Amino acid sequence: MAADVKKGIDTTKNPIPFEMAQVPGPEQAKCYMPKVMGAIIKKAKRPLLVVGAELFDDPIMFDKMIEIGKMGIPIAATAHSVKGFVDRGYLENVYQIGLHPLTSNLRFPDWNGLDGKGQYDAVIFMGIFYKFANAMFATLKNFNRNVKRISIDRYYHINANMTFGNMAFTPDDYHAAVDEVIAAMKK
Amino acid sequence: MATREGSFSVEDMKNVQINIGAVVKEAEEWDQEMGPFPKPGVATLRTWDHIIANRYKIMYAPADDTCTLCTYGPCDLTGNKRGACGIDQAGACGKIVLIACLMGCCAHAAHGRHLYHWCVDKFGDMKFDMGSEILVDSPIYQTIMGTKPRTFKDFNEGLYYLEEEVVQLLAATHTGQESAYIDFESKALHAGMLDLLGMEICDMLQIVAYDMPRGAADAPLVEIGMGTLDQNKGVLIAYGHNLAAGSEAMFYAEKNNLWDKVDIGGVCCTAHDLNRIGTGNGELKVPKGIGTKPKVAGAMGWWRKMIRSGVMDCVMVDEQCVFCDVLADAEKRKIPVIATTDKIMLGLPDRTNDSIDAIVDDLVNFKMPGVAVLDPTKAGEIGIRVAIAVKPKRAEAKIQNLITEEQFKESLAKCTQCNECAFVCPPHIRISKLIAEAVKGNNLEFSNFYEICVGCGRCEQVCPQGINILDLFEYANRQYVKNQKYKMRSGRGPARDTEIRAVGMPIVMGTIPGIIALVGCSNYPNGTKECYDIAKEFVDRGYIVITSGCMAMDMSLYTDADGKTIWEQYGGGLDGRNICNTGSCVSNANIGDAAIKIATIFAHRNHRGNFDDIADYILSKVGACGVAWGAYSQKAASIATGCNRLGIPVVVQPHSVMYRRTFIGRTDKPEDWMVIDARDGKMQQIEPAPEAMLYIAETKEEAMLEMAKLCFRPSDNSIGRGIKLTHYCDISMKYFGKLPDDWHIFVRDVKDLPLVYKEEMLKTLESKFGWKIDWKAKKILSGPLRPADVSFDPTNLARKIRTKK
Repeated sequence: MAADVKKGIDTTKNPIPFEMAQVPGPEQAKCYMPKVMGAIIKKAKRPLLVVGAELFDDPIMFDKMIEIGKMGIPIAATAHSVKGFVDRGYLENVYQIGLHPLTSNLRFPDWNGLDGKGQYDAVIFMGIFYKFANAMFATLKNFNRNVKRISIDRYYHINANMTFGNMAFTPDDYHAAVDEVIAAMKK
Repeated sequence: MATREGSFSVEDMKNVQINIGAVVKEAEEWDQEMGPFPKPGVATLRTWDHIIANRYKIMYAPADDTCTLCTYGPCDLTGNKRGACGIDQAGACGKIVLIACLMGCCAHAAHGRHLYHWCVDKFGDMKFDMGSEILVDSPIYQTIMGTKPRTFKDFNEGLYYLEEEVVQLLAATHTGQESAYIDFESKALHAGMLDLLGMEICDMLQIVAYDMPRGAADAPLVEIGMGTLDQNKGVLIAYGHNLAAGSEAMFYAEKNNLWDKVDIGGVCCTAHDLNRIGTGNGELKVPKGIGTKPKVAGAMGWWRKMIRSGVMDCVMVDEQCVFCDVLADAEKRKIPVIATTDKIMLGLPDRTNDSIDAIVDDLVNFKMPGVAVLDPTKAGEIGIRVAIAVKPKRAEAKIQNLITEEQFKESLAKCTQCNECAFVCPPHIRISKLIAEAVKGNNLEFSNFYEICVGCGRCEQVCPQGINILDLFEYANRQYVKNQKYKMRSGRGPARDTEIRAVGMPIVMGTIPGIIALVGCSNYPNGTKECYDIAKEFVDRGYIVITSGCMAMDMSLYTDADGKTIWEQYGGGLDGRNICNTGSCVSNANIGDAAIKIATIFAHRNHRGNFDDIADYILSKVGACGVAWGAYSQKAASIATGCNRLGIPVVVQPHSVMYRRTFIGRTDKPEDWMVIDARDGKMQQIEPAPEAMLYIAETKEEAMLEMAKLCFRPSDNSIGRGIKLTHYCDISMKYFGKLPDDWHIFVRDVKDLPLVYKEEMLKTLESKFGWKIDWKAKKILSGPLRPADVSFDPTNLARKIRTKK
């Protein structure tokens, strides 16, 4: 596979919001390399992987998300993305919830999380319709800054804390970058 | 000053000033006592608003982190900081929400005010008569105003009230006025309620004045689609929401026998209203059945595709949702434009007082690209005459503006695959891929994505190669445009009282699983077909489905395997397994009306000046859910907010994050779900039903699951709860591949369980949730939040507690 030979993907290029007019204000996300992203996610005490229906457009990403899930990071499957996990027989730490109610709950410090064990300190978005994800990041950016906002999606997410640059048109690079994040998390 | 009393003649008086105060009518015959809140002011229903806002937490997704409304700015509000005036991010968002709701409310209020003057001038002070099957004829008006309009002029009181409230609300948006976000939202809810009133006034006036259907389940089928516009005739497009000029064009064509020379197509809600004219059974002051003659050219989302497809010769714009580049697009194609209201004048010369012949001559000979003519009758005649006369003269321009195969290929070759277009495309179509395929000779992708393209034109503006991308779509879909010929049931107007009597009990008990209202505009996340898919899913399941506006039009463009549109597959009654087109944007009031009528006709609630009581009933007992799957406008924001104040939840598409504010409950907080049992005043925790007032779904699958869930109500009886749970679980299995994780919280008794899942569910209740089951008697012994109790009377208002006599 082409992605197997790609390493050291520079994910700091193309810091352009996928909806170009979505430039909210003075605080804008920085782009990070995959290894750094992976290390930060690994350090999080209560991370939550949040995935959406764009996984169906790029089904290999389901497998990569399951790899992350198997490392113990719970997965919030939003929209109807849980079907992809059902089809692959992996529901162990997968929670079905809409992105809207999830984000609403993430605002509240006293929310006990999807597993009843407490609020999260980092959310990692992937595979969500751009405008929706951008807006939900904006909610957290303004109303609960204790939750770190990480994007490992193929888009530059200006309202995140940490994001890749835009890779919507270089799928091989994107897949390789996510593989590097996973590898860094496993170290 | 000398005064005189008694009766006297004014004929011989000189230098006399006569002052007349209000003309007091004879006491009206309405045996219902006036409720506590007629003509509520800005703060009157604030307690009700806070009940909603405290249960359904206000959530903001700021579209920007700065405020730029005053000269202290721009102020950075990131992280909920305060600006120079002291407002925080939440307050700033609340202010924008209120402004948007006011914009929407005013669009309808102004439309209503214009229609009021126009209809009274043209038709006189007609009796307000909705026919013998609709006695509760103006439910929203009666609920808010506490009075019953009897003639057109009575609506003036409602309009005055509305206009005063709007001024007060807009004043509160000034810098240094309201600052608490919860009270911005209360004001927005008030604006939404006023919008319901404004819409109802619009629709009631036009239904009576223009003899439109009054709840006709068999309203006629009309032609819809770009392919229905007869290219052998001059095609006049009426684009907007106000039927005055478009109807005058129709009357002129009728009077002068010109239907063999001209075709009229409506775009956006004007289409719905033109199609309803003269098809009612009331007092007829318009040509009978004339509404079946114009075509429905299409919803607003098709506009830029339509104008590029060469199907029109002249455009008349009235008001609302008219794309601002209409003149530029039309001028390029030598399509004369006539602006017919003062709300949209497009910088055109005002020729209202010029001779019709002179105006027609100037337009037909392209001496000017357009005119403003603010007299609908004049504008209507000009529109017809120009469409007919300009058709042969613009034949060459028409062809020149349709790109050839060679031009298509030249444009394709220019593409450098830079993908700038995808960055500005609302549904993020990978246009470069469509072009790459077309370069290989495969235009299928351009066809597949034609309905997904929302026709915004932003791609063309950013293309560094200057490719007219919408023209590429047009070329590749030329045959589709010719074949876009479908049927749509014209707007039937309100629910009849008899229909409400028939469905009231099943709705409240839950045996009709819910009322789904599919409304609104054309900014869909994934194409127009989803309107048809969503409608069909719920009609097939036995829900009552009502639709209006652009969604009604867009769902008409698809057929089943037998070639039938959704209107030909199902009846048009207000009943389960039926689908009603209520009409245009302003007909959305009929949806609120239906909910109010369930409260009044079925449950005998007093609605007179009693808004919060009625809203409380609807929230607690009427399983209704609105869906605006393409909402783009401020009107959609105010309509949804008005529905929310009335107790009706709404599901919207992901673009609706731009509305900033949603209402969503915390299902983990039992204290948020306490209601009063009106029988004895005891507090009772209920299941979260409905769990949200404004919910954003990412996909149609998520929307459909949430819609089924939002139809649950605490008043469901066991059969009804079982039916609703069946659909909720079935939709989940169909699209998610599994049962929903929260089905159990809606189970009160074994009889609530869907039959098909009963055994499996009982086992899960015991093993996973620790409920106690008597397996021998097949009974649930413990576990549910509350027992099933058909006489449970949930309310949020302490005054509804029944006092012992």
